[in-house]
Amino acid sequence: MEINKEKCIGCGLCVNYCPMKCISMKEGLSFIEQDECVECGVCKNSKICPVDAIYEPDLDEKRNLRKTFSNPLVSHSSTSVPGRGTEEMKTNDVTARFKMGFTGIAAELGRPGTGTRFWDVQKVAQACAKNEVEFEPLNPVTAIMVDRKKGLLEERFLNEKVLSAIVEFIVPDEKVKDVLKDLVEVSKEINTVFSLDICGVVDDSGRPYFEKAVEELGLTYSVNGKVNVGLGRPLAEVR
Amino acid sequence: MTHTLHRRGTEESLRDDFVVFAIAAQSVNAKGIAPKFEEFYKIVRKYNPTNTGDMKKGNLFVLGDEAVGTGMLDNSIVHAVFNDEETVASVLKELKEADLGLSIVVSGIIHSIDQCCKKNGMKMHTVERSLGIWGKKEVLPSEPVLEISTMCGHGMIPFNLIESLVEDISANRISTTEAATTIARQCHCGIVNVPRVERILNVMASK
Repeated sequence: MEINKEKCIGCGLCVNYCPMKCISMKEGLSFIEQDECVECGVCKNSKICPVDAIYEPDLDEKRNLRKTFSNPLVSHSSTSVPGRGTEEMKTNDVTARFKMGFTGIAAELGRPGTGTRFWDVQKVAQACAKNEVEFEPLNPVTAIMVDRKKGLLEERFLNEKVLSAIVEFIVPDEKVKDVLKDLVEVSKEINTVFSLDICGVVDDSGRPYFEKAVEELGLTYSVNGKVNVGLGRPLAEVR
Repeated sequence: MTHTLHRRGTEESLRDDFVVFAIAAQSVNAKGIAPKFEEFYKIVRKYNPTNTGDMKKGNLFVLGDEAVGTGMLDNSIVHAVFNDEETVASVLKELKEADLGLSIVVSGIIHSIDQCCKKNGMKMHTVERSLGIWGKKEVLPSEPVLEISTMCGHGMIPFNLIESLVEDISANRISTTEAATTIARQCHCGIVNVPRVERILNVMASK
């Protein structure tokens, strides 16, 4: 995003409408630090500017990449899903993306509210790839991977900053603990945060497998979560 | 996209925070399903949700009820926010009877959702849990700011906006309700729980 200096009246109202804190006042006018701007559009979409001075210029490939990962109003070309992620477990009742015996894990780098460069996304992807995970093919991060076995991303994008990016994959239940241990280690090496989620089909015990694995590692999961209640049709076979 | 998953807070704080939403699988049952989203919306709005929204169009506080509930697309994702387990159980009962074919997802305390399913003769199909925030956590703001900000999973509620609104409330420049509405408008999907935001803002402003 950019500020039209001819229109800006220097009121500063937009400063608090940047999740990356990259809008400041410079010589009496609003100024957007372009290297930190993730093209999320929050400043413009909030309509906080009284003179409509915030605008989106023509974006080149790298700035468009930022926008795709940061502005949830954009549907990624590989998924048709608005937002920066995938349908993941939300449609699992009809897609059977996650079957019994497999667990879904997603590390969303930059969330909450800190943003991430792709070199940190790559670090996490590489850590997970060691465990021969199956990266979600319809995920925007997977779409810029050049080597899924190693978790390597396109080098020209590594310095780009985005609001968040999700490293998402499926792993056999027996490898869940190894992946989580590697995530513990790589979390010490990154310059941002990630929110971690884990999902699975509920088995005959009334619980998904992963809860046991998480408990055995001494990790904790939140009391709240997300449940697909199985009303989608046609129902897919997950066993 | 786990946009309703990583909501932070204690069990007490999360007890009255549920999101019920509908989505279609683009590769399976999405084609021509848009009218079913409108049926979904007609059902959920009968139970007085505190917020609603369609990810393809916007939320209740920006668009208004009628605009949210019409003009659905095959790749809409339609949300409604509720404040208690009993209402969610009633909503699920009616959604089950309507048999829309859409995937229905509920976010909230897992034990409560399990109870809602059991009351209606349903079983949880797939469960997703948050393992929290990992990495360089020293860059994060205070927990109350996170509790509000994480109500929009797409990160559309800046930390500094929340902090600024708390200052405005403390200085009597705006009411808590106005601040909560400003925050809710930021979240395109309409999944911010406005009464919960007000409660957290009041605690922050009183310190």
